[in-house]
Amino acid sequence: MPTKADIEAVDDIFQEGKVVDGFVLGKELHRGGMASLFSATKDGIDTPILLKIPRVGKDQPVESLIGFETELTILRALKSPYVPKYLGSGNMATRPYIAMEQVLGRPLEALIKEGRQFSVDEVIRIGADLAQAVQSLHAQDAIHLDIKPDNILIDDQGKLTLIDFGLSHHSRFPDLLAEEMRKGIGSAPYISPEQVSGVRSDYRSDIFSIGVIMYELLTGELPFGNPQSMNGLRKRMWAEPFPPRSIRKEIPRWLQEVILRCLESRADDRYQSATRLRQVLRDPESVKLTERSDRLEPPSFWINLKRWIKAAGYEPSPSPLPSKGNQDTPLMIAAIDTRQSDEELQERMQTTAKNLLQAYPEGRLICLSTIASTPTFEGNQESETASGIVRGHLVQLMEWAKPLKLPPERISYHVLEAMDPAARIVEFAKDNDASLILIGASHKLPNKVTPWRTSMTKIVEEAPCSVHIVRT
Amino acid sequence: MTERIGLFADLHSNLEAFEACMESAQELGVTRMVFLGDLVGYNADPIAVVDRVAELVQTGKAIAVVGNHDEAVFKDYSQRMNASANAAIEWTKSQLGSAQIDFLKGLPLLVNEETTCYVHASAHKPAEWNYITDSMSAWQCVQSSGKSYTFVGHAHEQALFYQSAVGKLIRFAPHPGDEVPVMSHRQWVGVVGSLGQPRDGNPEACFAVFEPENSALTFQRVPYDHFKAADKVRRAGLPEELANRLITGK
Repeated sequence: MPTKADIEAVDDIFQEGKVVDGFVLGKELHRGGMASLFSATKDGIDTPILLKIPRVGKDQPVESLIGFETELTILRALKSPYVPKYLGSGNMATRPYIAMEQVLGRPLEALIKEGRQFSVDEVIRIGADLAQAVQSLHAQDAIHLDIKPDNILIDDQGKLTLIDFGLSHHSRFPDLLAEEMRKGIGSAPYISPEQVSGVRSDYRSDIFSIGVIMYELLTGELPFGNPQSMNGLRKRMWAEPFPPRSIRKEIPRWLQEVILRCLESRADDRYQSATRLRQVLRDPESVKLTERSDRLEPPSFWINLKRWIKAAGYEPSPSPLPSKGNQDTPLMIAAIDTRQSDEELQERMQTTAKNLLQAYPEGRLICLSTIASTPTFEGNQESETASGIVRGHLVQLMEWAKPLKLPPERISYHVLEAMDPAARIVEFAKDNDASLILIGASHKLPNKVTPWRTSMTKIVEEAPCSVHIVRT
Repeated sequence: MTERIGLFADLHSNLEAFEACMESAQELGVTRMVFLGDLVGYNADPIAVVDRVAELVQTGKAIAVVGNHDEAVFKDYSQRMNASANAAIEWTKSQLGSAQIDFLKGLPLLVNEETTCYVHASAHKPAEWNYITDSMSAWQCVQSSGKSYTFVGHAHEQALFYQSAVGKLIRFAPHPGDEVPVMSHRQWVGVVGSLGQPRDGNPEACFAVFEPENSALTFQRVPYDHFKAADKVRRAGLPEELANRLITGK
């Protein structure tokens, strides 16, 4: 086992100008309670490098080492455009460091501290981007568990990066912080009720934190304050936050609905996947308004008392695997050829879609049709103008979907312009994190067999998800 | 080249699984092998399996420790085993020659290296063959071994016990093929799983690869011709139940 003497030499090893495993250390960028950050360079690596070195030694908290180990384990396993790339690490006992891509951008916290006012649209965009970044973790069975403005970097283009995985959980690796004596580790304003009660395996905790951040950016206030005691932390298990619309009137009702749903004390009552959260933020019309959207008054004393009594027996909901979220709320794309009418095929596709949607009560359907490019000039007849053509196809899609009898929040319609329909469908599926593409293939098209086969093959080969081919 | 240690336990005379795992270990660049006991019992190829392991040990490519089924070949265990296990041991005794029995007799109960302890069941009272199945038994094991790493078999299901922030050992179900960082400043117990008679509902053979220098442990599962192995069990006249265990992995 390593000796203390080894570990205490760390400060001598990591100094500007020194070389560790080929990494040439540059300036010390930051010295925090848990870690020091150095910029670095290395032959063969073009991107700027960040070296993170845990603060170790007798007077340092044990957490800095466990956090370091946890971050190393998880960062090394993650592949995501929203996470700094892992570039190497040193022996834990003698020269502990993690080398990672140095991401440009400023912490969201810095923007908040500057007193920056965020417009409603900006908050919606940040929320949707955060949901997408978080989804990329959940899809890999990882949960961040410390989503807060300090840990979100935003660059000039508005691109988000999530940093600091020291408190994260990954279901494929031992959770070194499990059964930690102190409950509710993390940042008091942002952690979920289940984290307060010590649960570290519920991915819906990250959805709660996104709700807190959107609330904060919109209102300048924290929905559950910044409590310093266990009792204060427990308040979020029962308290209803002050409705954001009572603080800032211009917040649309649908957005209040979304935020308050993220902040539900029971994980089962929140959105069940980050993908779903992103969908509703990008498509407000699909939000089903409930009583949450109407709230304008803070909850009454009696309501709070009732909720408090209920929370005395607070039991966190059982936590499914992170990647399961997306499986339970799958997004299905039905690619329908509105240019030709093969009734038998259309009927079969309807039946298939219906069966699939019955299996997933939270599943959503996007009906998609592609058309060749629309005319750039405006025709004389309404049906010849670009919007007229698109509308014509939209109507056909809606006709097709009618027998499915889906509520509006579960279905949407898109007509896409594309020279290469197959490529466009695949791209659309990728952008929307779709779980399934449903396409039809009729046997009745002898003269069109070749192009048909080519685009079908292309979709099957390149789709980022399952492809269900309906035949007649 | 860094050392890669292949860890194999509970081979139980399963030659098909053994060969598949050896091949896989070679592909994974294993430089040294450790056999964590129970070379024999249950299945149909005791001579071949013991001879192969003996050759690896004698040529310095492997070390091996003794398991309870190995010991049952030369000690009376009939009161401590179930009927089909006993039947297999009686049959095994009738097959093995003195060369194989001497090899099994010569195996140590436990091997200690600098940071690692290898033992069949548990480092805590190893001759009593206690199973490591929970936090308590894992804790007793690391208390006795005193090493960063203790690798065991005996319990047929793959598991990794790790020391949490509070010192308690927590059970983790590893995902095959994922490299788990196992830092040497905490204590770990790796239950590598059974090569010759998996029991978690998956018939694939188990083993693990440990890389001390990189502090990395990877659990593996290897498909093999388990129908053939089961068929041999039946043809040897061993209990039908033992053949079915190979087919179902239960």
